[in-house]
Amino acid sequence: MTELTLREPTFLILTALAAGPQHGYGIMTDVAEISDGRVRLRAGTLYAALNRLVVEHLVEFDREEIVDARLRRYYRLTPPGAQRLAAEVERMRSTTAVAAQRLRLLGGTT
Amino acid sequence: MDDHFRALGADQERVGLPASGPARQAASRLPGAAISLEHSYRRLLFLYPARYRRIHEEEMLAVLMTTPSAGKRRPGLAEAADLAWGALRVRLQPQRDGGEPVWRDALAALSVILPLVMLAVFAGQLTGQWQASSKSVLDIGFPLWMIRQIAAPILLVVLVLLRRRRAAIVVSVALFLWLAQLNEGLTLLWATGDAYLLVPLALEVIALAASAGPQRGRQLLTWKHGALAVVAALAASLPGSAVPLAVIAVAGGAVMVLCSSLARWLIVLLAAAAWPFFIVVADPSGDPLVPFLPSEFGVVSETYLVPAVLLAWFAVSALRESRRLARPAPASR
Repeated sequence: MTELTLREPTFLILTALAAGPQHGYGIMTDVAEISDGRVRLRAGTLYAALNRLVVEHLVEFDREEIVDARLRRYYRLTPPGAQRLAAEVERMRSTTAVAAQRLRLLGGTT
Repeated sequence: MDDHFRALGADQERVGLPASGPARQAASRLPGAAISLEHSYRRLLFLYPARYRRIHEEEMLAVLMTTPSAGKRRPGLAEAADLAWGALRVRLQPQRDGGEPVWRDALAALSVILPLVMLAVFAGQLTGQWQASSKSVLDIGFPLWMIRQIAAPILLVVLVLLRRRRAAIVVSVALFLWLAQLNEGLTLLWATGDAYLLVPLALEVIALAASAGPQRGRQLLTWKHGALAVVAALAASLPGSAVPLAVIAVAGGAVMVLCSSLARWLIVLLAAAAWPFFIVVADPSGDPLVPFLPSEFGVVSETYLVPAVLLAWFAVSALRESRRLARPAPASR
């Protein structure tokens, strides 16, 4: 069965976790950095996405810490999560390659 | 990964988190504005399912309080809307907390609800008959129908509330067989007269046997369900003047069904259990409502077909859900 295309916030969360385990706030800041400030996740969106990714075995719990009397729970990418991200990157690469090729044929843009 | 949330719970206990929570300790050192902000966030987090909140509340609060807030005392509108939307999405997502599959929880809840509903409905019917009758209660006596309509649900309610799962199964099966053989000269299949008792009893047996039973069911039922049941019962017992109550009951039930996967499974089971009763109420003459079917087949199909289809749908969905949950967990890194 063909897997559905990842939505951008989900794609960015998986990309953030590809660098290593991160806690919620770390993922939010990393996603903002990766997207050059274009995507700023809020807590509600982030945790709904994380919940679904955990249910789908794409992300899992790593560890937790107490910092300044606050709980930090770290999440990490699972091997299926890494495969899913790689498949999405490949899909995007082939799509953008076609787009670039057609733009070249159109003339002007490289 | 199946044990993901269970592991989280164990880890929380290990580091001593849930009861007081680190955020509450942190709050004691916060300025007034931050304390007010934290209380507002906690109120918003109440939109999330209780089980989810138990595991993630402190963690989410830490993220919310870390986000630059510039001394504000209340969450912004967009932030509040985002949390509300996130809570709705979490409620609509399949739950995976290392506990029972949702369909088994629905059966466990049904095993508690069904005897209570049967008792309430039949007691209401009985009261109506007594009020309509010129005779006193003592003159009517205690006929057989009273035993099967009232005593049977009372016995089941007691057993279920005492969490006697096996005893409740034995009693339900015995009652089912007794009612079935009371329909003299009719095979069980054609015994539609008592279908409004037989179908709920059969469902009660299934619910007790295929779930963790009343103990789990009682854990799942909260004050919200109790409040909704009381409002619905009041609306049903106060005809004419109970439109606002009925609206509240229907709206409350709709919100629960929308927001809880457990309620969505449960509503199918309750519909299957209640269908024969509605057939009896809608068509007390016993004539088939479907005109082109042979009379007996018409009645049987009306009475049993809808519960059978609903149960078949439930069984297929439960099987698919179980297969999905039984997928081998990927190895941890």
